[in-house]
Amino acid sequence: MDFSSNIATQLNAGAILPEGIVVVTILLVLICDLIVGKSSARWLPYVAIAGLLASVAALWLKWDATESLAFLQGFNGDDLSIAFRGIVALSATVTILMSVRYVEQSGTSLAEFIAILLAATLGGMFLSGANDLVMIFVALETLSISSYLLTGYTKRDPRSNEAALKYLLIGAASSAIFLYGVSLLYGLSGGQTNLDAIATALANGDGGESLGLAIALVFAIAGISFKISAVPFHQWTPDVYEGSPTPVVAFLSVGSKAAGFALAIRLLVTAFGAVSEEWHFIFTALAILSMILGNVVALAQTSMKRMLAYSSIGQAGFVMIGFIAGTDAGYSSMIFYLLIYLFMNLGAFTCVILFSLQTGTDQISDYSGLYQKDPLLTLALSICLLSLGGIPPFAGFFGKIYLFWSGWQAGLYGLVLLGLVTSVVSIYYYIRVVKMMVVKEPQEMSETVENYPEVRWSLPGMRPLQVGIVVSLVATTLAGILSNPLFTFANNSVINSPVLQSAKLTQPIAKAGISETSDRPIVQ
Amino acid sequence: MFHLFKKVHILKISCVTEYLFLAIMLNSIPWLTAIILLPLVSAFAIPFIPDKEGKTIRWYALSVSLITFGISIWGFWQNFDLQTSQFQMRETYAWLPQLGLNWSVAVDGLSMPLIVLSGLVTTLSLLAAWKVNRKPRLFYFLMLVLYSAQIGVFAAQDLLMFFLMWELELVPVYILISIWGGKKRLYAATKFILYTAIASVFILVSGLAMAFYGDNLTFDMVELGMKNYPMALELLAYTGFVIAFGVKLPIFPLHTWLPDAHSEASAPVSMILAGVLLKMGGYGLIRMNIEMLPNAHIKFAPVLVTLGVVNIVYGAFTAFGQQNLKRRLAYSSISHMGFVLIGIASFTELGVNGAVLQMLSHGLIAACLFFLTGAAYDRTHTLMMDELGGLAKSTPKIFALFTAGSMASLALPGMSGFISELSVFLGVTTSDAYSDAFKIVVVFLSAVGLILTPIYLLSMLREVFYGESKLSLDPNFLMSDAKPREVFITACLLLPIIGIGLYPKLATSTYDVKAVDVAMKSRAALPVVAETRSTQQQAHLPSVWTPAMVAPQLPNSSN
Repeated sequence: MDFSSNIATQLNAGAILPEGIVVVTILLVLICDLIVGKSSARWLPYVAIAGLLASVAALWLKWDATESLAFLQGFNGDDLSIAFRGIVALSATVTILMSVRYVEQSGTSLAEFIAILLAATLGGMFLSGANDLVMIFVALETLSISSYLLTGYTKRDPRSNEAALKYLLIGAASSAIFLYGVSLLYGLSGGQTNLDAIATALANGDGGESLGLAIALVFAIAGISFKISAVPFHQWTPDVYEGSPTPVVAFLSVGSKAAGFALAIRLLVTAFGAVSEEWHFIFTALAILSMILGNVVALAQTSMKRMLAYSSIGQAGFVMIGFIAGTDAGYSSMIFYLLIYLFMNLGAFTCVILFSLQTGTDQISDYSGLYQKDPLLTLALSICLLSLGGIPPFAGFFGKIYLFWSGWQAGLYGLVLLGLVTSVVSIYYYIRVVKMMVVKEPQEMSETVENYPEVRWSLPGMRPLQVGIVVSLVATTLAGILSNPLFTFANNSVINSPVLQSAKLTQPIAKAGISETSDRPIVQ
Repeated sequence: MFHLFKKVHILKISCVTEYLFLAIMLNSIPWLTAIILLPLVSAFAIPFIPDKEGKTIRWYALSVSLITFGISIWGFWQNFDLQTSQFQMRETYAWLPQLGLNWSVAVDGLSMPLIVLSGLVTTLSLLAAWKVNRKPRLFYFLMLVLYSAQIGVFAAQDLLMFFLMWELELVPVYILISIWGGKKRLYAATKFILYTAIASVFILVSGLAMAFYGDNLTFDMVELGMKNYPMALELLAYTGFVIAFGVKLPIFPLHTWLPDAHSEASAPVSMILAGVLLKMGGYGLIRMNIEMLPNAHIKFAPVLVTLGVVNIVYGAFTAFGQQNLKRRLAYSSISHMGFVLIGIASFTELGVNGAVLQMLSHGLIAACLFFLTGAAYDRTHTLMMDELGGLAKSTPKIFALFTAGSMASLALPGMSGFISELSVFLGVTTSDAYSDAFKIVVVFLSAVGLILTPIYLLSMLREVFYGESKLSLDPNFLMSDAKPREVFITACLLLPIIGIGLYPKLATSTYDVKAVDVAMKSRAALPVVAETRSTQQQAHLPSVWTPAMVAPQLPNSSN
């Protein structure tokens, strides 16, 4: 009796209730598809959405749970992980909304698509809370392998196949590198897999500053950077984004990235706390490269998906500012930005999907004159893009201000300046699309837009698309102005997470950054 | 039964009026928030207004704008105290306390007249945009958003909110230029947005640097002004603000977007651009640079004066070379804004007073001239002066109004421009801050600009309105003269110009106390510099500083 209750508290299986709901949903989707057959495609997406929303609700209930560690400390369900798991689950929800019509039109089975997407979501959610090297790797591979499958999902499209192969090869290589780095970490810490145990072992042992640790760090960062597509580990991004089915791209750019950032925070802050100066330096370099390359190369793109791919590289660079800041405000600005980025980026992708469903193209020049034909699509896409560019009063403005604010607070003046300049550059390419759609005269309309059929929302699968557009439009417009609850949520998720709080005590750099700004001697 | 109902109804109404009355009495109406939000919120109703021919929407937009203008006048009339230089009608609501961002608005003598000006110019430009054939809904939507943003910039008391409003105005102007503009509108619009967006980065950076300095994190402008910054930080922040506002004002090397934007935009948009948006630059310079960073202002003031002179002379000379009517007016704007710079940097009450009056008066004059240019363009469909000529015969009213506007622009006595430029001159000549030689050069060079202004404006009048018509129009084509609507718009702008010219107190009384306060503050910092300088070698002083500024050494101080 005593033993079993002891085991129960050690397992604390309730912590993964949200993931459990997702697993049940996957099974439900697969079984219903087997039993009912093809006609189930009409209601299966809603089952999946209901499951994901239930999972988000379960996350909500777990907020501020007293006992966050579960499975013998292999999984940490603290508020930080809840924020990231929520982002991953929500991004999957919106992705399903936009994918119903798209997948049906491509002539492939919807149920399998949803099942794989849910599996990827599951991987991402576990990754956000994983506190153990084995757990991290298993979750990472669940996410990655599902992503490979998803990118190649439209198997009759050669470009989708190409994207899947590229993603698989590069992804497998990066996974191997990551695994090698992690195994070094395992060895250096004297055979520990738990992140906290590794941190203590490294702090007590003499291997703290060894070359092995440096190599482990570099390899781990390479694996993470692949997930968040930070330059120079970004080469797969444009090609994969261009070739794979658009809903998959939307998920990769938000859900998968959020999971990558969650992994970065947990692994680097906890396990690599001893070398935090080094990884701050590496991430500074990655952020600089990502912001510059992502935003500058996006200028030259002619395909909408490629442009969004480069823009997502640049956006990841902005988010890294909050990570490098390493303060409470820094981490919560990351969470806040990712939450907002979820809506604006997925909103943009939903609009791109609608346009390509209507016309079959995603060239930027084909958007010209769309205002005359489809005002709702024009409005939604314009607002999402302007928000991505950081134009007030949309949500993206507030997100960027928070990131830059926290960066400045931590003394990262150069990074913030660079971020500001590159976001001006980004305004240029976002507004180029808006200009195409809004400014062009009826006679300058592109041929595609001239033949633009009227949107028939009554077609199967179009309703969810419409809901997706409207939801992300409303969220992008209002989440900035009324962002106070979101701010509080992001702040609390950081403050209530002991991982980050204890890390701050052992990590003098971030503190030094604050004190430098606050009580700098007065120079006369 | 009916009786009872009526009674209840009346009771209800009287209750409401009583409540309103009480609210007014207790001064609890959020006037400023109301005038900022009213245009913005009502803009969102535009897509849903049933409208076939575009007539309902323009009446809607015009009435919203008129109501906002009326509310602001009424609110200022009731609550604005002319005798104090402090911020009034302050409303503060926490917006994002985590960032320190507050919805904080207030007005003082500096911002109040500018809010009234932007209300007037925007309302008139909506009236001027009577025939918008292309996408009328979008046009009026953007105009109303732009209206909100303008008031927001002038009323914001929180630096982050100021930045937000400053950015909010970007996209409407961009789209307004790029859809309803001239031939090169896309080029002009892109240039506008890139210049302004890059410049606004500096506002944010300087603002963050100032907000994070010291123990308390605040974006409140008054509190920021009270912090004591180290000189290096103050200089950097000052440079940032000068770049940001210098693009808007514009200051000489940063001005190149202006001729393109102003000449390509349609007449109503040009009215707002020249009438209000340029004043944001001057407003920002006074609000941030002088009021918050007085010590750096002392170092930068000679630079500002020099740039002001360059603006005046360069603008005037370049205006000569322009064959495009609007481009000529645009360069004349650049030239006139030079006076604002000189006035700001004069350290005298008179100079600051003149700078503010110059902003107001140029706002009215430029709006008037750009509107009339638009009216002429509607009839001739060209802006090239060598293709025009002899318009006076066919359109005598436009000619008369245009002449009146040009006279105001060249600072004819009796018009507002004269008063403001005279005050700036007097301000800079009576300033103790500069050496005599410097003052002489400044006055001489700006006088050259002042002489050039009538020459290029009068020659413009001659080319456009006198002589024989060069238009290759059908001889039977009868050009219609100004319609009552057009005369009305011009009259609304010209009357204040002449009113201020004849009785300047009309305008100056609104901001006099504030201008004196600003000048005092900026002078208050002077002795500090003088003291520190006196310890240095006298010979190393820059020649622009007057010896009077350096504290004389007491005979026994060296012992």
